Amino acid sequence: MTPALRRAARKVAGGLLALLLPPCAAGAEIAGRVELPRQLNAPVKTQNYEPVASGGALAPVKPAAVVYLEGEFPPANPAPTVQLVQKGQAFIPALLPIQVGTKVEFPNYDDLYHNVFSFSPPKRFDLGRYRTEDRPVPSQVFDKLGLVTLRCEIHSHMRGQILVLGTPHFVTTDEHGNFRLTGLPAGRFVVKAWLDAATTHARPVELGPDTVLRVDFP
Amino acid sequence: MDAAPNRFRTFRRRLVAAIMVVVGGLTSAGLWFAHRHAGAEAGREVERDFHAALDGLRVVRETRIQALQQRCLSLVQKVRIHAALEDDALDLLYPNARDELSDLMAAAAPGPRRGPAHPATFWRFLDLRGVVIPAEPADDFGPLSAAETARLALPRVPSTPQLGYLWRAAEGSEGGGFDQVITTPIFSTATRKPIAALAVGFAAHDERAIGGESAVRRGLWAEHRLQIGGLAPEARRALDDHLRRVLPLERGAGRATPLTLEGSAYLLLFEPVNPGSDYPIAYEISLYPLAATHARQRRLRWQILALGSLLLLAGLATSQVVAARLARPVEKLAADSAQNIVRRDRAEAALELTQAELQRAARFSADASHQLKTPLAVLRAGLDELLARTDLTEPVREELATLVHQTHRLTGMIEDLLLLSRVDEGRLKIDFAEVDLSHLVASWLDDLSFLPNELRISITTDLPAAVAIAGERRYVSMVLQNLFENARKYNRPDGRIHVAIEVSESVARLTVGNTGRVIPVSSQPHIFHRFHRGAASEDVPGHGLGLNLARELARLHGGDVRLLRSSGDWTEFEVIFRLATSARGPMRSRT
Repeated sequence: MTPALRRAARKVAGGLLALLLPPCAAGAEIAGRVELPRQLNAPVKTQNYEPVASGGALAPVKPAAVVYLEGEFPPANPAPTVQLVQKGQAFIPALLPIQVGTKVEFPNYDDLYHNVFSFSPPKRFDLGRYRTEDRPVPSQVFDKLGLVTLRCEIHSHMRGQILVLGTPHFVTTDEHGNFRLTGLPAGRFVVKAWLDAATTHARPVELGPDTVLRVDFP
Repeated sequence: MDAAPNRFRTFRRRLVAAIMVVVGGLTSAGLWFAHRHAGAEAGREVERDFHAALDGLRVVRETRIQALQQRCLSLVQKVRIHAALEDDALDLLYPNARDELSDLMAAAAPGPRRGPAHPATFWRFLDLRGVVIPAEPADDFGPLSAAETARLALPRVPSTPQLGYLWRAAEGSEGGGFDQVITTPIFSTATRKPIAALAVGFAAHDERAIGGESAVRRGLWAEHRLQIGGLAPEARRALDDHLRRVLPLERGAGRATPLTLEGSAYLLLFEPVNPGSDYPIAYEISLYPLAATHARQRRLRWQILALGSLLLLAGLATSQVVAARLARPVEKLAADSAQNIVRRDRAEAALELTQAELQRAARFSADASHQLKTPLAVLRAGLDELLARTDLTEPVREELATLVHQTHRLTGMIEDLLLLSRVDEGRLKIDFAEVDLSHLVASWLDDLSFLPNELRISITTDLPAAVAIAGERRYVSMVLQNLFENARKYNRPDGRIHVAIEVSESVARLTVGNTGRVIPVSSQPHIFHRFHRGAASEDVPGHGLGLNLARELARLHGGDVRLLRSSGDWTEFEVIFRLATSARGPMRSRT
């Protein structure tokens, strides 16, 4: 791991940690497991460019799901900023849930050009070609709910997904599907597990101030 | 003799005719085979040419299609196209694809930039159902009429590239042409399933660019429409009709079949170019004009004919010469045999004549001898009577004695002639018996010793005890008498006579040698001729018949008389008789 990557990872991890463990440690909690679909994509091999990972095979995108608490929540103030990096000809993380209004930066940590763009209805943009040292780091503010598919025009195999949610209460499962949502407000909600554009599981929950629930999907 | 040349002429004519027939037949057969072979070879060559040309063109076509497919395949992997299709952004599909496919139709666009080798005429996307996704504005992506757009659609999105041919009606006229359509599926990167397809139209390659006057004409037939270059409208229509009949049956696909269009001969070959395609099947039509080939064959036929005529003429000339050559020895043979026949006839005639003459002569001498014998007897009797008279003077008596002697000589001569004439006439038959030659010789020598021996001749002999020969004693004696008398007559004073008998296997050889004057070499061949007396003077008695008679008699006995030598005071004759022991069976008497 290069120092830059390590730095970025720490930053991302810090961001996630901040989300998962809010300063007020109190609140309801939902933990459980999402049955993840079997990985569809075979490992991708680069064809057009020099291999960056071993043998030209790129690290497979690990399956994951986003579990979030649906409901009406006020937008975050100030709007948070997160990073979705391009490293090893892949978007990391491959699936990024954000609250609407969040600014996402797209730093390029590869030694080659990337060109991130999206044709997805919630956000269409095209960052153009840029390299690591280009400043400012290209970023976009996502202010519409929905799924945004990220692609790199140069590297056709690269896929990234940003799930723009209306809630600040969301978490990405680990590769086995385990999740833990903490610091949840009390009330009646629907907890959802988003697997892909076609698959979202939902479960109504009623949370007390210190409720600890176990919810498994499906 | 007049018929012979005519016969030869007929013979020669027939020979010439036969050779002419053979030569003509052989030449004609050879020419026929050569012509047939040349024709078949030309046909095969044409087909070979045709197939070679088609193979070349097929490679070009397939290479082209492959190149275009490859091109389309790289196009459908463009990320923006995938993004537009997969990320629910169809409104961005054509605008983004236009950027990505910008050089596909570059040749259509004005500008200095050189376009691709095969510029596209249009391109469209098909959705999951195989329906064309509308493009706005259509002109940017190659205009397509509603009907054309409908024909571009497929029953569903394909999972493999599809090759089709789309008829594009030319504006304002009834003509038009095919566009080659390559429709390439676009696979979802997520599901790996086809989600859309890109259909790109390319102008079907310009057939006129390939066709010269004699080159292969190529075209396309699909959706009951024919596109082919280099054909007159009538021929085109006739070909269209023909194809409408045969193509639905696919009869003769991939095989060259002869076809006549408006009086011109062609070889036609058609084969499907997009078998298994979701688009309507299209056939590639190839026409190989045979006009040049036929002209070449006609030329070849004339050449063969001319060559054949020359060959025939040469053959006829040769047959004349050969016939003459062959006929000459035959004619010569015939002429020779004719001459021979004439000669033989002549010889036979001459022989007959000679025989007749011989017989006449023999009869004459016989008659003459008989006629002479009587007066001679009278004459001798008269002379004897005169000599008996006592009143004769001595000179007269001597004269008379000489005359008597002459009559004796004449009598001997006449008898010899009589005998010879009998021999000549073949009337003399030897009555063969065993004769002791040794004894006969001894008795004759005994007789000789009683004769006056004025010349003091000594006689020596070398005789075996007994030698039995086959013969008639009378005539054997005559032979011996003749030889002994000659040996005495032509001897010299104090001379010698040697007589010897030698017996060999089947014959007895009697040699009689005597001293005295030799016979000149020039006379030796003639001594056995009648009345030949050589250089003998008148004082030597004889009449020149003796040796001849001796030889004739010896020969009648199956033997002979020969002169062995006559030189250096020695003359030696040899008489051969057959031994009685060897003379079995009937004797062959000489005729």
